[in-house]
Amino acid sequence: MPYFGSEETVKELKRALSNPNVQADRLRYKNYITRVIRYMTQGLDVSSLFMDMVKASATVDIVQKKLVYLYMCTYASDKPDLALLAINTLRKDCADPNPMVRGLALRNMCNFRMPGISEYIEQPIVAGLRDKASYVRRVAVMGCAKMQSLQPNIEIDPSIVNELYALLRDPDPVVVVNCLRALEEILKDEGGVVINKPIAHHLLNRMKDLDSWGQSEVLTFLLRYRPRSDDELFDILSLLDAFLQSAHAHVAVATLRLFLHLAATHPAVQADALQHTSSPLLTMCGSISRELRFAGLCHVQQVMRSQPGLFAPHYKRFFCAYSEPSYIKFRKMEILVELVNDENVTLVLEELRSYCTDVSPELAQVAIAAIGRIARTYSEKCLNILTGLLALKQEHITSAVIQTFRDLVWFCPQSTAAVCQTVEACVDCTQDSEAKQALLWLLGEHGERISSAPYVLEVYIDGLKTELSSSVKMELLTAAVKMFLCRPAETQDMLGRLLHHCIEEESDMCVRDRALLYHRLLQRGVEQTRKVVMGPKSDPSMSVLTGHQQEPVSQWVSNFNTLGPLSAQDLCFQTPLIALPEQPSNNAEEELLPVSKDVSPFIPTDDQEELNLYLGPPLSHEAFERTWLDLEVQHRETLSYTRPRITPDALQAALQLAKIQTLAFTPGDTLPWKAYLYTRGNRTLILAELLWEDPDIEGSLVVTVKQQPPNQHALRGFVSTLSSVLQTLDIDS
Amino acid sequence: MIHSLFLVNASGDIFLEKHWKSVVSRSVCDYFFEALERATEPENVPPVIPTPHHFLINVLRHRIYFVAVIQSEVPPLFVIEFLHRVVDTFQDYFGVCTEAAIKDNVVVVYELLEEMLDNGFPLATESNILKELIKPPTILRTVVNTITGSTNVGEQLPTGQLSVVPWRRTGVKYTNNEAYFDVIEEIDAIIDKSGSTITAEIQGVVDACVKLTGMPDLTLSFMNPRLLDDVSFHPCVRFKRWEAERILSFIPPDGNFRLLSYHVSSQNLVAIPVYVKHNISFREGSSQGRFELTLGPKQTMGKTVESVLVSSQLPRGVLNANLTPSQGTYTFDPVTKLLSWEVGKINPQKLPSLKGSMSLQTGASKPDENPSINIQFKIQQLAISGLKVNRLDMYGEKYKPFKGIKYMTKAGKFQVRT
Repeated sequence: MPYFGSEETVKELKRALSNPNVQADRLRYKNYITRVIRYMTQGLDVSSLFMDMVKASATVDIVQKKLVYLYMCTYASDKPDLALLAINTLRKDCADPNPMVRGLALRNMCNFRMPGISEYIEQPIVAGLRDKASYVRRVAVMGCAKMQSLQPNIEIDPSIVNELYALLRDPDPVVVVNCLRALEEILKDEGGVVINKPIAHHLLNRMKDLDSWGQSEVLTFLLRYRPRSDDELFDILSLLDAFLQSAHAHVAVATLRLFLHLAATHPAVQADALQHTSSPLLTMCGSISRELRFAGLCHVQQVMRSQPGLFAPHYKRFFCAYSEPSYIKFRKMEILVELVNDENVTLVLEELRSYCTDVSPELAQVAIAAIGRIARTYSEKCLNILTGLLALKQEHITSAVIQTFRDLVWFCPQSTAAVCQTVEACVDCTQDSEAKQALLWLLGEHGERISSAPYVLEVYIDGLKTELSSSVKMELLTAAVKMFLCRPAETQDMLGRLLHHCIEEESDMCVRDRALLYHRLLQRGVEQTRKVVMGPKSDPSMSVLTGHQQEPVSQWVSNFNTLGPLSAQDLCFQTPLIALPEQPSNNAEEELLPVSKDVSPFIPTDDQEELNLYLGPPLSHEAFERTWLDLEVQHRETLSYTRPRITPDALQAALQLAKIQTLAFTPGDTLPWKAYLYTRGNRTLILAELLWEDPDIEGSLVVTVKQQPPNQHALRGFVSTLSSVLQTLDIDS
Repeated sequence: MIHSLFLVNASGDIFLEKHWKSVVSRSVCDYFFEALERATEPENVPPVIPTPHHFLINVLRHRIYFVAVIQSEVPPLFVIEFLHRVVDTFQDYFGVCTEAAIKDNVVVVYELLEEMLDNGFPLATESNILKELIKPPTILRTVVNTITGSTNVGEQLPTGQLSVVPWRRTGVKYTNNEAYFDVIEEIDAIIDKSGSTITAEIQGVVDACVKLTGMPDLTLSFMNPRLLDDVSFHPCVRFKRWEAERILSFIPPDGNFRLLSYHVSSQNLVAIPVYVKHNISFREGSSQGRFELTLGPKQTMGKTVESVLVSSQLPRGVLNANLTPSQGTYTFDPVTKLLSWEVGKINPQKLPSLKGSMSLQTGASKPDENPSINIQFKIQQLAISGLKVNRLDMYGEKYKPFKGIKYMTKAGKFQVRT
């Protein structure tokens, strides 16, 4: 590399360039210029050759001209006074009979980023806008934008803006697109180029002449346009239809975005467009280029938020190939987790199982976490796999499995028993602190079900001196206290030792304070401690969640086909359920009480009023839980049906037809079977619980309804709608 | 849109940079290098890297990272596809797209980049228009240029830009009028242990080389157009006609272009042209492992499977492999543990096999997973999906063109699990 002795190199080049013999020999001269450029691109400072290079620009050789221009553009801002010398040659070139030379000179002149250049370039640009060669017009249009960015404080020249708007009708398609690009830049402060009806329709009609880049950009600009009527809207959509199938993925996706945006009030059209684009998107996911595949997957993920079922039949497309980079594999696994249904669950799990033993520990851990996510719905199958993985005795696998167990027990309490049985097996080979914390949490929380739990804790307490991580120590303290509360006889002695050590010998303040806290708490008595440490947990069946809620398209369309979803840093599985509850949730309150402010809660019910149920904005689990706990029971009734014997998906779909949203229900045949529903109608929010406890009594489905604000009419309507749905399902099964 | 472009080689050096709007310091690439360091494999660098002021979008091809610096919100696919187009253009111009080739042709590279983007927006990217603006370097032309001192820049403005059909220039003249079409299919498949197919799909393209005088109007019809699942066309194809009659009708661009690409998914039955019999096993407590592999043709409609290359990443515990191929040569890299076997043709009478033993690290435990096997192959004169061109007709011109159609099947991501 020329970084060493670079001064020598520059001197040598300077000597050569000013040598008249070299200048006389065109080839040798050009060779030296090429060398200058090469050094420049390698990051060597060759700006001291500026004078010699300006001289070299007076030539008929276009390549040499291009090279010198390139050099000048790089260094013009450093040496503005010298660059002025070159301006004359450039202006002369702007009048050359060859349009290539004209264009080249104009473009480079605009690229000189130095103050004061604009007075020299304005006249050639204006002339260029009217040039008869489209090549020059393209350059000149762009030049307008460059000129503006050179002097950002000067007022925008309205005559140029008008001229650019007029050039939108240019016969050359690239000139048209360049005009849009230039106007967008010039009018940045005023909100960019204005797309009114004539411009929008003109652009739509020119679409097929444009190159793919132009199409994609025009589609983005058209997002600003709002059609006046439905007729106009459908005209536009039918013009765009062919572009949904474009050979260029970026055009197809940009078209889809515009479609979704324009048809915001026509959900059926949106669904149809998504259906149409599903195959190009899938093709993108199988593309040869890794980057395109990745982008395709990210877009599929977004579409799945509204249409979870759309890609379910193609789940095999999302199986990872061995040679794919990890960022693709992570995305594919996330998608697979979302696509699981009753038919494909066995195959998907088998596939994920094979990733768990991958060479890359990171990938294996993500695969295990993915199985853990599926376990919330299909616990039995997944637990078998996870338990099987423990037998491999691989440290990173065991660690990931324990962490998955912890999350699973939290989300899906019915699997606690099975987890507690297996957890003992993995006690020996947990090394890293994350896994230790998870294990200790499990031991503390469910100590009464794990027979060897106190002995495991004892091992940890004995090895406390060698433990480095303070978070493990804190977890150990909590676990020991919890264990003491449920199995005092076995734990008392070791808890004493632990507290003593942590208070007397520990140097970490956090651990010491925690130990002191527990110590003082225990001094107040066991019952007091129990109240604090074993506080009430949230209703476990509330957090059971099967099937995803369908989000409306508008939730994600604003960042569809943008950089955001592709650059998301966290590829691990995020669970909004734990992330949210701590946040103040004013929004949730508002969405709960959308209309109650102006309506008195006790309006005499108008029996003539027809009941129209509607879903309204989606209700989050937390908001539901909070409202459910706040409200009084309005109505309880035992219906003469059994629990619907159909798949969760089908039940959800059936209820949705009747405009009732299913929020959560117990998976499989677990008893008691519960489901939580909500809907809105006649200015009231209706929450309902279905409970089926005893399989032996036919027709013992209890429905509990809560309402805000109370409205007897709506309540009766809801119960009758619900029972007719259940009746239909009962007959079907 | 695209602010700057940096080219970074496999060892992490920036060897070329080009700025369109303003000069962005190359220190912006530090974020990229950070990501490169974090990624264990070169392929694992994520394509989009956010930094405080910019976004870096990169594509990795031919062991070179093309890193684009983006300052405002853009459709990511746009940039990714554009970068791929840049690489395709380099490949088209220089034959290969390697660091050496780019450094040798640095002048042409700059000329190309200058024409392809202006102020960060794509300008001319169609290969036949670019080739008129900047002539590709050839050995002959280099020699001629050296002698006569002329340059490889077109003296005239490309006429194509004035034509009513944007993708075709006017006044094309040939003495031999020819139209060739290549139907090329790549089969992607994952085969499981027992030999049954987990997924299989076909990505196909029809590439054309059309050298016809004047403004010919072509129609191309297939025997079985319903086979094609998801088709995308060159802008020249009249989409309405395809929707109504399943016939391709178009005024072709001049020279080489991709007429359409299509997809045959797993919903249709995909024929798998090769099968693999394998026995790769490690015994607990022994430092030896067995390796046996036999390849055979299957559903190839009598065509020969050629240029077969088998590669497999053996487990980390394998020290060396001692194998005997019945044909071809094999190599095993003890550092990367990559086994590759160049098989050549598969003769159905005498199936190629690779047998022998692997030595393992003494004392190491038995590897958990068996390696998967990647296979590359080619089959001439066969489109594995069964797609066949029915006829090609020309309207609008009087002469009789020479027509030719070739079929080829290649392995894409073809993977066998063991």
